[in-house]
Amino acid sequence: MRICSLVHCGSGLRNMAARIIARCVRSLNQRSVYFNRVNTAATLTAAPLTHGRTFSHLTNGHKSSLAQISGGSFQVFQWRQYGDLPPLSLETIHDRVLYVLKLYDKINPERLQATSHFMKDLGLDSLDQVEIIMAMEDEFGFEIPDAEAEKLMTPHEIVQYIADKKDVYE
Amino acid sequence: MAMYQMQQHTRRRANDTEINMASCSRAQVISLYRMLMKESKKFPSYNYRTYALRRVKDGFRENLHVENPKTLDMLINQARENLAVIKRQVSIGLLYSVQRTVVEREPHL
Repeated sequence: MRICSLVHCGSGLRNMAARIIARCVRSLNQRSVYFNRVNTAATLTAAPLTHGRTFSHLTNGHKSSLAQISGGSFQVFQWRQYGDLPPLSLETIHDRVLYVLKLYDKINPERLQATSHFMKDLGLDSLDQVEIIMAMEDEFGFEIPDAEAEKLMTPHEIVQYIADKKDVYE
Repeated sequence: MAMYQMQQHTRRRANDTEINMASCSRAQVISLYRMLMKESKKFPSYNYRTYALRRVKDGFRENLHVENPKTLDMLINQARENLAVIKRQVSIGLLYSVQRTVVEREPHL
Protein backbone atom coordinates (compact mmCIF):
# COMPACT_ATOMS: atom_id res chain seq x y z
CA MET A 1 0.00 0.00 0.00
CA ARG A 2 1.02 3.55 -0.45
CA ILE A 3 1.52 4.26 3.24
CA CYS A 4 3.44 1.12 3.99
CA SER A 5 5.80 1.82 1.14
CA LEU A 6 6.44 5.32 2.46
CA VAL A 7 7.27 4.01 5.91
CA HIS A 8 9.59 1.52 4.45
CA CYS A 9 11.32 4.22 2.36
CA GLY A 10 12.11 5.88 5.63
CA SER A 11 10.97 9.40 4.68
CA GLY A 12 11.20 10.72 8.20
CA LEU A 13 9.45 14.05 7.61
CA ARG A 14 6.19 13.95 9.61
CA ASN A 15 4.61 16.75 7.52
CA MET A 16 4.98 14.85 4.32
CA ALA A 17 3.56 11.69 5.80
CA ALA A 18 0.62 13.60 7.20
CA ARG A 19 -0.15 15.20 3.86
CA ILE A 20 -0.10 11.89 2.10
CA ILE A 21 -2.26 10.29 4.74
CA ALA A 22 -4.75 13.13 4.32
CA ARG A 23 -4.82 12.51 0.60
CA CYS A 24 -5.46 8.83 1.18
CA VAL A 25 -8.34 9.64 3.49
CA ARG A 26 -9.94 11.88 0.89
CA SER A 27 -9.93 9.06 -1.63
CA LEU A 28 -11.34 6.64 0.90
CA ASN A 29 -14.88 6.62 -0.39
CA GLN A 30 -13.85 4.93 -3.61
CA ARG A 31 -11.72 2.21 -2.10
CA SER A 32 -12.30 -0.34 0.58
CA VAL A 33 -9.15 0.24 2.58
CA TYR A 34 -8.33 -1.20 5.95
CA PHE A 35 -6.32 1.10 8.21
CA ASN A 36 -4.76 -0.39 11.25
CA ARG A 37 -3.06 2.17 13.42
CA VAL A 38 -3.58 5.39 11.50
CA ASN A 39 -5.20 8.13 13.48
CA THR A 40 -7.45 9.59 10.81
CA ALA A 41 -10.94 10.97 10.79
CA ALA A 42 -12.18 7.75 9.20
CA THR A 43 -11.34 5.52 12.13
CA LEU A 44 -12.52 8.12 14.57
CA THR A 45 -15.97 8.04 13.03
CA ALA A 46 -15.95 4.28 12.70
CA ALA A 47 -15.21 3.77 16.39
CA PRO A 48 -18.70 4.64 17.70
CA LEU A 49 -20.28 2.03 15.49
CA THR A 50 -17.99 -0.73 16.61
CA HIS A 51 -18.75 -0.14 20.25
CA GLY A 52 -22.42 -0.54 19.48
CA ARG A 53 -23.75 2.73 20.80
CA THR A 54 -27.35 3.58 20.13
CA PHE A 55 -28.24 5.94 17.32
CA SER A 56 -31.53 7.65 16.85
CA HIS A 57 -31.17 7.63 13.07
CA LEU A 58 -28.48 7.00 10.53
CA THR A 59 -28.66 8.62 7.12
CA ASN A 60 -28.18 6.44 4.12
CA GLY A 61 -25.13 8.09 2.61
CA HIS A 62 -23.29 8.21 5.91
CA LYS A 63 -23.95 4.54 6.49
CA SER A 64 -22.65 3.41 3.14
CA SER A 65 -19.32 5.21 3.40
CA LEU A 66 -18.66 3.92 6.90
CA ALA A 67 -19.64 0.41 5.89
CA GLN A 68 -17.08 0.61 3.16
CA ILE A 69 -14.40 1.67 5.58
CA SER A 70 -15.29 -0.90 8.15
CA GLY A 71 -14.80 -3.72 5.71
CA GLY A 72 -15.22 -7.13 7.15
CA SER A 73 -13.69 -7.05 10.61
CA PHE A 74 -15.80 -4.29 12.21
CA GLN A 75 -19.28 -5.22 13.35
CA VAL A 76 -21.93 -2.55 13.11
CA PHE A 77 -24.35 -2.73 16.02
CA GLN A 78 -27.44 -0.58 16.00
CA TRP A 79 -30.36 -0.98 18.27
CA ARG A 80 -33.17 1.17 19.62
CA GLN A 81 -34.28 1.44 23.20
CA TYR A 82 -37.86 2.36 24.02
CA GLY A 83 -38.77 3.56 27.47
CA ASP A 84 -41.44 1.54 29.27
CA LEU A 85 -42.19 0.07 32.67
CA PRO A 86 -41.46 -3.62 33.38
CA PRO A 87 -44.45 -5.89 32.70
CA LEU A 88 -46.88 -6.46 35.56
CA SER A 89 -48.06 -9.80 36.88
CA LEU A 90 -50.74 -10.58 39.42
CA GLU A 91 -48.10 -11.53 41.97
CA THR A 92 -46.14 -8.31 41.65
CA ILE A 93 -49.29 -6.20 41.80
CA HIS A 94 -50.36 -8.05 44.94
CA ASP A 95 -46.95 -7.58 46.56
CA ARG A 96 -46.77 -3.91 45.72
CA VAL A 97 -50.28 -3.21 46.99
CA LEU A 98 -49.56 -4.92 50.30
CA TYR A 99 -46.22 -3.14 50.56
CA VAL A 100 -47.84 0.28 50.14
CA LEU A 101 -50.51 -0.63 52.67
CA LYS A 102 -47.94 -1.73 55.20
CA LEU A 103 -46.19 1.61 54.87
CA TYR A 104 -49.40 3.43 55.81
CA ASP A 105 -49.15 4.22 59.49
CA LYS A 106 -52.81 3.78 60.38
CA ILE A 107 -52.78 0.13 59.37
CA ASN A 108 -51.44 -2.54 61.67
CA PRO A 109 -49.19 -4.65 59.39
CA GLU A 110 -49.76 -7.88 61.32
CA ARG A 111 -53.51 -7.69 60.87
CA LEU A 112 -53.32 -6.92 57.18
CA GLN A 113 -54.45 -9.61 54.77
CA ALA A 114 -55.61 -9.64 51.18
CA THR A 115 -59.25 -9.84 52.20
CA SER A 116 -59.28 -7.45 55.15
CA HIS A 117 -61.94 -4.80 54.67
CA PHE A 118 -60.66 -1.27 55.26
CA MET A 119 -63.62 -0.06 57.24
CA LYS A 120 -64.89 -3.19 58.97
CA ASP A 121 -61.67 -5.07 59.76
CA LEU A 122 -59.03 -2.37 59.88
CA GLY A 123 -61.22 0.38 61.30
CA LEU A 124 -60.35 3.02 58.74
CA ASP A 125 -62.29 6.04 57.61
CA SER A 126 -63.60 7.00 54.20
CA LEU A 127 -61.01 9.78 54.21
CA ASP A 128 -58.32 7.17 54.93
CA GLN A 129 -59.65 5.10 52.08
CA VAL A 130 -59.25 8.11 49.78
CA GLU A 131 -55.65 8.47 50.92
CA ILE A 132 -54.98 4.79 50.33
CA ILE A 133 -56.39 4.95 46.80
CA MET A 134 -54.27 8.03 46.08
CA ALA A 135 -51.20 6.14 47.29
CA MET A 136 -52.10 3.34 44.89
CA GLU A 137 -52.42 5.85 42.06
CA ASP A 138 -48.94 7.16 42.84
CA GLU A 139 -47.48 3.66 43.05
CA PHE A 140 -48.88 2.37 39.77
CA GLY A 141 -48.81 5.65 37.90
CA PHE A 142 -52.34 5.91 36.54
CA GLU A 143 -55.51 7.74 37.58
CA ILE A 144 -58.39 6.00 39.30
CA PRO A 145 -61.66 7.94 38.88
CA ASP A 146 -63.71 8.88 41.94
CA ALA A 147 -66.73 6.70 41.24
CA GLU A 148 -64.67 3.53 41.01
CA ALA A 149 -62.30 4.50 43.79
CA GLU A 150 -65.14 4.60 46.31
CA LYS A 151 -65.97 0.95 45.74
CA LEU A 152 -62.48 -0.47 46.39
CA MET A 153 -62.66 -1.62 49.99
CA THR A 154 -60.21 -4.52 50.28
CA PRO A 155 -56.67 -5.06 48.97
CA HIS A 156 -57.97 -7.94 46.88
CA GLU A 157 -60.42 -5.64 45.09
CA ILE A 158 -57.65 -3.15 44.44
CA VAL A 159 -55.46 -5.87 42.92
CA GLN A 160 -58.34 -7.02 40.73
CA TYR A 161 -59.12 -3.48 39.59
CA ILE A 162 -55.51 -2.75 38.67
CA ALA A 163 -55.18 -6.07 36.85
CA ASP A 164 -58.38 -5.21 35.02
CA LYS A 165 -57.14 -1.81 33.95
CA LYS A 166 -53.66 -2.96 33.01
CA ASP A 167 -54.81 -6.12 31.17
CA VAL A 168 -52.87 -8.54 33.36
CA TYR A 169 -54.04 -12.13 33.08
CA GLU A 170 -53.01 -15.35 34.79
CA MET B 1 -82.36 19.85 38.20
CA ALA B 2 -80.39 17.23 36.35
CA MET B 3 -77.43 17.95 38.59
CA TYR B 4 -79.54 17.27 41.72
CA GLN B 5 -80.75 13.97 40.28
CA MET B 6 -77.19 12.97 39.45
CA GLN B 7 -76.14 13.65 43.02
CA GLN B 8 -78.99 11.53 44.31
CA HIS B 9 -77.68 8.72 42.18
CA THR B 10 -74.38 8.67 44.04
CA ARG B 11 -76.07 7.76 47.31
CA ARG B 12 -74.11 5.30 49.36
CA ARG B 13 -75.13 3.45 52.50
CA ALA B 14 -73.51 5.55 55.19
CA ASN B 15 -71.94 3.05 57.56
CA ASP B 16 -68.89 4.93 58.70
CA THR B 17 -68.19 7.77 61.09
CA GLU B 18 -68.52 10.42 58.35
CA ILE B 19 -71.40 12.88 58.20
CA ASN B 20 -74.75 11.23 57.48
CA MET B 21 -76.34 14.10 55.65
CA ALA B 22 -77.97 14.25 52.24
CA SER B 23 -76.17 12.21 49.62
CA CYS B 24 -74.89 15.24 47.78
CA SER B 25 -72.66 16.52 50.56
CA ARG B 26 -70.95 13.21 51.27
CA ALA B 27 -69.82 12.72 47.68
CA GLN B 28 -68.93 16.40 47.49
CA VAL B 29 -66.81 16.23 50.61
CA ILE B 30 -64.93 13.17 49.44
CA SER B 31 -64.24 14.62 46.01
CA LEU B 32 -63.15 17.91 47.59
CA TYR B 33 -60.75 16.01 49.83
CA ARG B 34 -59.34 14.16 46.86
CA MET B 35 -58.89 17.29 44.78
CA LEU B 36 -57.27 19.19 47.63
CA MET B 37 -54.79 16.37 48.24
CA LYS B 38 -53.98 16.09 44.56
CA GLU B 39 -53.36 19.79 44.13
CA SER B 40 -51.31 20.00 47.32
CA LYS B 41 -48.97 17.30 46.05
CA LYS B 42 -48.05 19.50 43.11
CA PHE B 43 -46.35 22.19 45.17
CA PRO B 44 -42.73 22.47 44.06
CA SER B 45 -41.61 23.80 47.44
CA TYR B 46 -41.11 21.18 50.15
CA ASN B 47 -42.40 23.41 52.96
CA TYR B 48 -45.62 24.43 51.26
CA ARG B 49 -46.29 20.91 50.10
CA THR B 50 -45.94 19.26 53.49
CA TYR B 51 -47.86 22.02 55.23
CA ALA B 52 -50.74 21.90 52.78
CA LEU B 53 -51.04 18.11 52.96
CA ARG B 54 -50.93 18.11 56.73
CA ARG B 55 -53.39 20.98 57.07
CA VAL B 56 -55.86 19.41 54.65
CA LYS B 57 -55.78 16.11 56.52
CA ASP B 58 -56.15 17.71 59.92
CA GLY B 59 -58.83 20.14 58.77
CA PHE B 60 -61.03 17.41 57.35
CA ARG B 61 -60.49 15.15 60.32
CA GLU B 62 -61.42 17.68 62.97
CA ASN B 63 -64.71 18.50 61.22
CA LEU B 64 -65.63 14.86 60.84
CA HIS B 65 -68.67 14.92 63.09
CA VAL B 66 -70.26 18.22 62.11
CA GLU B 67 -74.02 17.82 61.65
CA ASN B 68 -75.29 21.38 61.29
CA PRO B 69 -76.04 21.98 57.57
CA LYS B 70 -75.13 25.66 57.73
CA THR B 71 -71.67 25.02 59.15
CA LEU B 72 -71.29 22.25 56.60
CA ASP B 73 -72.04 24.59 53.73
CA MET B 74 -69.67 27.20 55.12
CA LEU B 75 -66.92 24.61 55.50
CA ILE B 76 -67.45 23.28 51.99
CA ASN B 77 -67.24 26.78 50.55
CA GLN B 78 -64.08 27.43 52.54
CA ALA B 79 -62.59 24.25 51.17
CA ARG B 80 -63.44 25.31 47.62
CA GLU B 81 -61.77 28.67 48.11
CA ASN B 82 -58.70 27.01 49.55
CA LEU B 83 -58.60 24.72 46.57
CA ALA B 84 -58.50 27.75 44.27
CA VAL B 85 -55.76 29.32 46.41
CA ILE B 86 -53.68 26.15 46.25
CA LYS B 87 -54.05 25.91 42.49
CA ARG B 88 -52.91 29.50 42.02
CA GLN B 89 -49.97 29.11 44.37
CA VAL B 90 -48.85 25.94 42.64
CA SER B 91 -48.64 27.71 39.30
CA ILE B 92 -46.84 30.67 40.84
CA GLY B 93 -44.41 28.33 42.52
CA LEU B 94 -43.71 26.64 39.22
CA LEU B 95 -43.09 29.99 37.55
CA TYR B 96 -40.51 31.15 40.07
CA SER B 97 -38.76 27.94 41.01
CA VAL B 98 -36.05 27.74 43.64
CA GLN B 99 -33.33 25.22 44.36
CA ARG B 100 -34.35 21.98 45.98
CA THR B 101 -33.85 21.87 49.73
CA VAL B 102 -31.37 19.54 51.42
CA VAL B 103 -34.15 17.16 52.40
CA GLU B 104 -35.19 16.65 48.80
CA ARG B 105 -31.85 16.30 47.12
CA GLU B 106 -30.69 12.92 45.87
CA PRO B 107 -28.29 11.31 48.35
CA HIS B 108 -24.70 11.95 47.42
CA LEU B 109 -22.91 8.66 46.96
